[in-house]
Order: sequence, then structure tokens, then C-alpha cells
Amino acid sequence: MSKKIFIIVGDNLGLSREQIDYEALEIVKFPVFVDGVEYRQSEEHNARWLISKYEKEKVVAKSSTLIHNEIAEIIERNHANYDVFIHVVMSSGLSAASFRVAENVRKQFENIVPVINVHTRQAINGVGSVLLGIIDLVKTQPDLSVEELSAACQQIVENTFSWFVFPDLNYLYKGGRIGKAQSLMGSVLHIIPVVGMMGNEKDGLVLPMGKGRTYRQVNDLIIEQIHAKMQEKSVTRIKRAITLSGYGDKNQDAYAALLEKIKMLPVDEIVEGQGGLVDAVYCGPGAYGVSILL
Amino acid sequence: MNTTDTNLVETTEVSFNVESINEIIENIHRYLNKHKEYINSLNVFPVPDGDTGLNMVLTIQGAIVQMKNNGRTEKNSGEYLKDFAEQMLLNSRGCSGVILSLFAQGFTQITANKDFSKENIYRAIENGYRNAYEGTENPREGTMLTIMRALKEKYAQLMEKEDNPLVIIQQTIPYLKEVLSQTPEMLPVLKKAGVVDSGGAGFIILLEGINKELSQLVVNGISLPSLLRIGRTTRKLLKKRLSELRKSPFAPLILNIDFSRIQNSRLVEALQNARNLLGNIHLNHNNGKTINREKLIDDLQEIDASWNPEIKNKYCTEFVLESDAITSKDQLREKIAHYGDSLIIINSNNKYKVHIHTNKPNDLFDDVSKFGSLLFTKVDDMKKQHRNFLSEDVVEYERDKSVFCIVSGKGFAEILKNLGADDILCYGKNKPSVNQLVKGLNNLKAKNIIVASDDSDILMALKYAVSLCKSNVFIVESDNPISLVSMLMNISKDYDINTIFDEAMNSINNIPFCGIARSTRNVTTENGAPVNKNDYFTVYKKKIILANKNLQELVFDTVQQLSAEGSLITIYKGEDVKKENSLIEQLRNKFSDRDFEEYYGGQYKYSYYITFE
Repeated sequence: MSKKIFIIVGDNLGLSREQIDYEALEIVKFPVFVDGVEYRQSEEHNARWLISKYEKEKVVAKSSTLIHNEIAEIIERNHANYDVFIHVVMSSGLSAASFRVAENVRKQFENIVPVINVHTRQAINGVGSVLLGIIDLVKTQPDLSVEELSAACQQIVENTFSWFVFPDLNYLYKGGRIGKAQSLMGSVLHIIPVVGMMGNEKDGLVLPMGKGRTYRQVNDLIIEQIHAKMQEKSVTRIKRAITLSGYGDKNQDAYAALLEKIKMLPVDEIVEGQGGLVDAVYCGPGAYGVSILL
Repeated sequence: MNTTDTNLVETTEVSFNVESINEIIENIHRYLNKHKEYINSLNVFPVPDGDTGLNMVLTIQGAIVQMKNNGRTEKNSGEYLKDFAEQMLLNSRGCSGVILSLFAQGFTQITANKDFSKENIYRAIENGYRNAYEGTENPREGTMLTIMRALKEKYAQLMEKEDNPLVIIQQTIPYLKEVLSQTPEMLPVLKKAGVVDSGGAGFIILLEGINKELSQLVVNGISLPSLLRIGRTTRKLLKKRLSELRKSPFAPLILNIDFSRIQNSRLVEALQNARNLLGNIHLNHNNGKTINREKLIDDLQEIDASWNPEIKNKYCTEFVLESDAITSKDQLREKIAHYGDSLIIINSNNKYKVHIHTNKPNDLFDDVSKFGSLLFTKVDDMKKQHRNFLSEDVVEYERDKSVFCIVSGKGFAEILKNLGADDILCYGKNKPSVNQLVKGLNNLKAKNIIVASDDSDILMALKYAVSLCKSNVFIVESDNPISLVSMLMNISKDYDINTIFDEAMNSINNIPFCGIARSTRNVTTENGAPVNKNDYFTVYKKKIILANKNLQELVFDTVQQLSAEGSLITIYKGEDVKKENSLIEQLRNKFSDRDFEEYYGGQYKYSYYITFE
């Protein structure tokens, strides 16, 4: 029997609402604090706004976890009309608290409606990749049981891989999200670090993927690693690639060059994603990247 | 044991407190670490490579690190310990680490229900033993498995009188030591070598945890290599004629050996006999006890031989295979057993952790890769480890792998260190001696080392140093500092040593570069143009392409000619142009479509290295 499924996701997903073709979905906004003042993503307060503040005013920004009551309220409001809720959650390796909040909400409703918390092991457009993969799934297989649905979501997670070029890792470091990528910091030689989040890595941490001295080198490195991942997973086509940019004007050429290279790959769909306010806190000026679903 | 430990087992259901569980585990790990050298010194079976203690420590350490890194989703202490045991399995090192992990896996499968009653702990021990026994290919008596079974049996006896499982375990320890002392009778190789089983001893030390019962084992003992040398000297002495024996300066030394400093029972017995025999000869009387000199010589020979066996399969090889094509341990065993011996396979879902001694690790990796993904590989050269183990200056390995660079310039040393080299030998103007190189390699205390130098003249000395070094060393045959930069830009130390070496070899020529130096004699460029003594010249791809009396003009000409090679041009200044500050700005002005960066390299041979990326 077809299930009516409602999806919840945080707004660090690298996609706008218009880019997501699914009605029963709500995006919860992360609180962002800039010099102590709380903001949420809006027309006015977006990634470009924060990056510009970073560049001109040297502000201090940080984010907070999703608010329990805001997620609970969505489920409260909709549970009468839906059979299952799927909460697509950013990697607990980056924010253990976010996953805890999601789990607490699930427990709160465990006798009322099933809530599947999908631990994406991802951030930003990686979350977006998992989300769109899940939407494909629920559209094509709406009659899966909760257990089957949960297992299928896990498969999507394990087939999602993201690469990010962060010209300045200090933003990630200051936000406490650096993980194993710390090894890329502190070089005397100016290097451009490439970090990644690999869906087959249980920890969901930011990993050092390599480094280059020029943007052409790091773009080539990403493409090379995408090919290696396809080979490792024995696939000939990429189901979807979501690119990421929008953190100021810096590196637009490098991003465009990466996008061109991605277009040359055997990919079924390319979505040009955009950075949001909350991820700008950690990415800093000039960051860009790509996430793929195999 | 502290109160927290006791609390863990006093109640049948334990409240979930990760911090206190971690504290207990870390205490035990510290305790084991403190005793690892003692455990290492007993290691003679299956191969005397002196790493049983280290492997047990690294197995637990790996799990501790993984558990700290992981986001915690376990709901109770039982589940937490089960996950910890799974991490031990995935991080297990060597035979001892694998068997210990198997025991932990079996144990925690039972306690996952968070029941720590004495009855359930018994079931856990029983299951742990069964899991370890069944998971071990060709299980042998006289090993850690024997001690595990003894624990199970003694625990069953004691639980009739005592309720607290921790107290029961503590009470089993004297019995376990007794069984340990009998292991030489069960496993001839131990008897020949005069030791008890190292894995069994390690297991008991683990059980004791932070309890100090075994602390008396850490004594100021004579090192194993010294003991073996004493044995060999004694043997030679006993072969001499009586008249020579009486005159030998070594005889009084053997007569005065402090036996309390010898932890090898068989050698103690042999040396005591030798002392008696020599005493009789020296004092020229017979105290009534007949000692067969020939037998004593044979005994000493046998002890020596037992520590120097023929190692048929040189490489202790481990890997984790993730495979859906392989459906059971037996299936995998069938496919790979012919590669060697000491095979242990354990599995968790579709992951198989394999330990095997083989001469063909790479063939094995290629073979198993056909069935899935290799998540982890490790290859140790046991012959090298064995040689290290029996040498006077034993290197206690602290790391699995390291990258070591040898460079002339201080600036490059700093750059390479920042890019991830574990240690640098910065030799300045004078090339390093073999001795310096050996010292540098051994100082890393790594089982496997990737080494690269910036000068091909060092290669010969380096190869000789490697033959004297205690680690497995992979030489990257580079001849300039730019190759070293390129290598470190491209390798990832997360991979196994063979993969890192392949990556290093494949990357050393990635960055196009040239060097600018001053000529010490008259030569010509590749086009036949003269280069006079004291002129500057540019070397590109090992050929002199340009020359000029003026250094700055030559840099401009060089950049002009080679700038098509890359958009980012980096200048590494040598020691002779250290204070030169205006060049970079002039280059930026002259070649505005290129990006320039400048660093201090500190090299002596070349005024500049210039890279084009």
C-alpha cells in the first residue's frame, strides 16, 4: 500500500526550495549568530551577505543546532495526514547535537507516527544529494515498509560522496568542524585544500582528500577521485551531481571550470546548488564543491 | 581495581556512563602498555618478531581512538562494549590482537544485554573463548587460547562460592599464572626458547588491569640479546679443552651471573648447570653431581636455535576486505589458504579481517581485490622485525608508518615538515653519513618508512643505511627537493605503506621545475652556447638550457622561456640569495598574467629552484 511520506530537512542542504520537486517537505532553518545577533536564512541574510561581512568587517559567526520544538511542531501539525516522516539530518560527525535533537524528536513521537532519522554523513549539497535521492525513492517505491524505507535510505547515504574546495580552512577549524582535515592546515607553502565527506565512511567526518597549488590542480584531483569512486563502486554513470558555490565572488572562475569538467562526466542530472547562510559560517569566501549520488 | 570497576559488575544492570567505561578501558590499556616490553620479550611463537605486547596494545588503542571519533548511538553499556569489541576486531594487529579481539567480540555479544551478573559473565567468557577458538585457524594448546579456557573453567568453579564476578576473575589469576607456567610443556617451541606464552601472559596482564599483581614481572632483567650472547659464549667455552677452560677470562663471569635478572627459565637451568660444571673444573673437584657437558652444549644450541628459526613466510600480512561476493569465512579461507600460514579470518557482516603470514602479500591483495574492496592493508617484514628484536639496540616501534625526508636546505625542511613529513634530516652543506642516516631512520620508531632525499649522491649511502635499519624502508629515488614537495602534496598517510609508496613514486615528477646555479667550470648549453666558469646557468629536465653572467637576467629569461608550463610560478630561494627581496616584485611586474610566490628554500647547490604549476 502506498505510504504518505513527509520529509524534513535542515537548510544547510545547498538547494533552494524551488529546486526540490516534492510537496510534502519542510526546510527547517538553522539559527546563525553573527557577532552575537541571531539570524535565519532570508532574502536579505544569505551566504553572500555573511561572506561580505567576513571580508569587510571581520565578524565572528557561529551556528546553533536545529530547535527541537520547531521540528516537533512540524510533525505535530502534519502527523494526522502522513504515514511516515523522514528527517534528513546532517552528519553527526559534524554536529552530534543535531542528530541527538532529531533522535529526541523521534522518541517523542514513537508511539504516534514512525520517524526515520537519516544520518546522511554529509553536509551542504551532500545533504541535498541524499535528500533528492530519497525523494526519487519515495516517488518510485511508495509502498516500502518503514524498515525497507530505512534500509533504502541508508543505501543512498552510502552512495553519496562530496568534495569541497575550502581556500581557507580556518572557518571550518574555528567552527570545530575540521575533523581529520586538520592535517591540511598550517602549511608554510600556500596550498589549496580539498576536503570531502564520503558516504561509505561511518564516522561522517570531514576528511582530507588532497591538496593542490592551483585551482586547476584541485579540480583535476576532484574529477580523478570521482572516477576512482565510480570504479570502486562499479558504476558507469552518476545519477546526480549537485555543485555548490555562492560564497562571494572569489573563485567563480575555478567553480565554472569545475562545472565544465563535471558536465564531461557520465552524469544523468546536474543541479547547480547554492550555499546558504548557515554553511557560509564554515565555508568562508571562495569555497565551492560538488556532491554526487552514484 | 577502583570503585568504578567494581560497580561495573556488582549490579546486574549497569547505568550507562561512557566516561567511566572509557576510564576503565584506558586504565587497562595504560597498564598493558606498561608491560608490553615484557610481553614482547616472551614472543617466540608463531614467529619471534617481538611484537605480541605491541599488537595487543595497538588493538585496544585503535578501538579507543575509533570510539572517541564515532558519533555514539549505543543505548547502554552492553552495546557500547559490543561496539568497542567490533572496533578492536577492525583495528586488530597480529595474531595476538586478532585472538584477543575475537574473545572480546564473543564476550560482548553476551553482555550486550547489559546483564553483568556472575552467571552472564560466565556465559560471556565461554562465548568469548569459543569465538576465539573457532576463529583461529589451527588452534594450538599452550597459547592465549589455553589461558582463556582455563579462565572459563576456573571461573565456573569459583562462582559457586563467590557472587561478585570481578572478585571471581581476580581469584582466577593465580591459577591462570600456574597454567601459563605450564605452557612450555604444551608448546615445544616455548620450552626450547625457555619462555611462557607471550599472548597468554598478555591476556593475564589484561585481566589484572590496573591491579598490580604482575608488577613484579617488571624487573631490571638482562635483555634477551645479551642473554643469548651469554648462552653462545658459554657454549663456546664448554667446547674448549679443560686446560683452556681453566684459563678463560669468561669462566669467572659465568660463575658470577645474577640469576634473578634472567627471565628465561630454560637458560637459567642451563647456565646453572654450566656454573656447576665450571665451578667443579675451576675448583678441581667433583661435588658428586655429574653434568653431561655434551648435553649442556646441545641444550644451549637448541635455546639459541629456537630464537632464530627459519622464517618461511616473511611477511605478516593483514587486510580488511569488504565483499558481498564472499559469503563465509570458509569460502575466503579456501581461496587464500595456499598463500601461507598462521591464517586467521574473522568477519562482521560483509567485512572480513584477515591475518596471514605469506611471501606474496601483493599477489594476495590483487587476488582478494577481485571479490570486493580492500579497506585496510598492512604488511610487516618479520625477518626485519626479528632481527631488530634480537639486536642489542632494539627499536621499540611506536608508529606503523612514517615519511622521512633528507634535504639540504632549512627552508625546504620547514616546508616538507608542514606538508606532512614525520621527520627531516637537514644536512646543510655536508652530505649525511650512513651512520646519521641509520640513526635518523631508527629514530622514527616506525615499522614502515618511506624515505626520499633531494640529492642522488645520497642514494648509495641511503641504500646501505636501509640495510642496517630495523624498519621496512621504501626508498623513493628522487634527486631534488621539488620532487619531495610533489610527493608530499600527493600522498595520503591514511593508506597502507605499499599504496603510499606507489603514490610517492608516481608523483615525484608532477611539478615541472628548473634550477639555476653558478658554473664551477667552462661548459656549454644544450644548444652549444658557452657557459663560462662563474656564469649562472639554468638546468631544465637535466639539460642546461640557458646561461648568463647576470643572475637576475637569467631568471627573467628562464621564466620567459618556461612560463607556458604553468600559471603559478614559485621561486625557492637558495642560501646564497637569502637576502634578495626585489626579484619577486620585478617578476610580477614583468609577467603580469602569471601568479608568483616566493619561499626560502635554503638549498646550497642552486641559487633558485623555479616551479611552474
